[in-house]
Amino acid sequence: MARQRGSVLLVVPLLALTVFLVGCPKRPATSVASAPAPPASAAPSTPSAPTAPSMVSPPSTPATPAPGTMTPATPAPAPSATPPKPSEFMASANLRDIQFDFDKYNIRPGDAKILDANATWLKANARNLVLIEGHCDERGTAEYNLALGERRAKSTMTYLVAQGVATNRITIISYGKERPMCTDKTEACWARNRRAHHLVKAQ
Amino acid sequence: MSARPARAFLAVTAAALVVAAAGMLSSPTPARPQAADVLLNVIASGAKKLNIAIPDFTLAAGADPQTLVKRVPEVLGNDLNYSALFNVGAGMPALPVNNPAAVREAWASFAASGAHAALHGLITIRGDRVEAEMRLYDLTSPEQRLISAKKVEMPAAQARRLAHKMADEVVLQFTGELGIADTKIAYTSVGGGGKEVYVMDYDGVGAVKMTSTQSINLSPAWSPDTRSIAFTSYMGGYPYLYRLFAFEKRPIQLLAGYSGINSSPAWSPDGKAVALTLSKDGNSEIYLLTVATGALRRLTSNAAIDTEPSWSPTGREMAFVSDRAGPAHVFVMDAEGANVRRLTQAGFNTQPRWSPKGDGIAFTSRQGNHDIWAVNPDGSNLRRLTAGPGSNESASWSPDGRHLVFQSSRIGAFQLFTMLADGSEQQLLTKGPGETTSGAWSPRLP
Repeated sequence: MARQRGSVLLVVPLLALTVFLVGCPKRPATSVASAPAPPASAAPSTPSAPTAPSMVSPPSTPATPAPGTMTPATPAPAPSATPPKPSEFMASANLRDIQFDFDKYNIRPGDAKILDANATWLKANARNLVLIEGHCDERGTAEYNLALGERRAKSTMTYLVAQGVATNRITIISYGKERPMCTDKTEACWARNRRAHHLVKAQ
Repeated sequence: MSARPARAFLAVTAAALVVAAAGMLSSPTPARPQAADVLLNVIASGAKKLNIAIPDFTLAAGADPQTLVKRVPEVLGNDLNYSALFNVGAGMPALPVNNPAAVREAWASFAASGAHAALHGLITIRGDRVEAEMRLYDLTSPEQRLISAKKVEMPAAQARRLAHKMADEVVLQFTGELGIADTKIAYTSVGGGGKEVYVMDYDGVGAVKMTSTQSINLSPAWSPDTRSIAFTSYMGGYPYLYRLFAFEKRPIQLLAGYSGINSSPAWSPDGKAVALTLSKDGNSEIYLLTVATGALRRLTSNAAIDTEPSWSPTGREMAFVSDRAGPAHVFVMDAEGANVRRLTQAGFNTQPRWSPKGDGIAFTSRQGNHDIWAVNPDGSNLRRLTAGPGSNESASWSPDGRHLVFQSSRIGAFQLFTMLADGSEQQLLTKGPGETTSGAWSPRLP
């Protein structure tokens, strides 16, 4: 059943976004995607492609004009906005991870001290942007953990902002359970995986 | 020639079903001209499955270098056995062309060994096209009545699909509803520096890699027309929602690229909208995205996590997950987001999947380990479908609602398994080198 598949480079002009940083303009990003397979061995009766839409089909009209609503795609890139790609951030010895209890996202007292130190460093190094990754252990399902990981990143961000770190320096991302630090099926390993990880990018 | 088919059939037929067939012979009910009656009569006689004899196909015309006369009935027989409606007797030599007496003799022999029905397949090969004709016979009628005759044509390269289509037709003849052999299963598998989306035949054969993003890809979901698969991908860095086209050379499309997570896609039954989870407004909420326009409507508004929408087949309601009551539970709301009611009470429950018949909602429950459970939409008939070992998660229904594909860690890293809707017949489906998860059973292919 070997099949050939084409690989087509695709420029995806991402949408101009308004993130949680209200008012912070976003840059359309560029990404490379692989095309799906040509007709698989199935589907001779599959209807042929209808009129092909554009490479991406962003919403043409925002649902509401409220902040946080996706705006129509802007064909022209608007560089130097939007959060940089996660791959542009690097680990920093100056910022420590914090951990969370199982299925929880509150900042524990001991971890608050770690975040205090992180906030102090970030305020003293104001040219650095920070990316906060929220992670979960392997227990639980992928989709729920995506939401839980985001809560962990968000509560971490909220704490740093309360300590005086400017909101527009912080980006969050959830990886759910998809990027564990370790894969042992032990509580010690799961505890390490339930974390908020900090990365920085010098401006 | 009659003795050998009989032996071959007996070799694969349970003795108990021979007894059941004997009961049939003594039944005063005359055979009626509906194939469904054959199955009903057989089941009424006490047998759980219908015994069907499928000799090797007869080559009616053309050359057969691929031995399709054996391969097609083999795949067809596997499909029918998998349906759990039939016991297939196969491997008997092909019947001669245009020799009704020989066919009758063979059928009499199969009937004597317990077969209730027989399928005579004839294959004609013209160039790279194959035409298969199936003739279904009711062996419970004294005259071995012809129930149905049907032809299916395919490119020779799609001989497996030819067999699947014939199997679905046999199931249709005996049950009144098409079978599910001509379907696909999408899933994610780890390898090559990413977690990519794949599509394979429902029986695990012919996997095709659909993405090569070297990134995390999650939660594939088929559109009702089977043309596209929505999924969450980190291919652009952040978790946005895209769709790929499974059978067309079309590029991947971005469906939702809002800040935060864009996850858990579920196509509306009319295929026009995708329910999904966005966190752009502060925390995970369920929205409805009209695919053609990008218009967005928010369905939930709660400080808790709301995620994993799953439509009822009517499109009037949606099951979803929320931790608004503490641990995560399955809730149901109407498609406008109103009339929220809680469906599960104990444990920690995620991944609701509404059955295509509308009569059940499968979900993943953590009560110690993770296992698949199901419950009726009114909260009644709570039942456990798996009981370990390992974690059992992420169920997806076959389009007839009779089977489920799910992931299990019972043999190590997650692989896909299938089972019948009552939890029986659990069997391994994938043997991927990497962790294989998030099986999504397609609707029937057009």
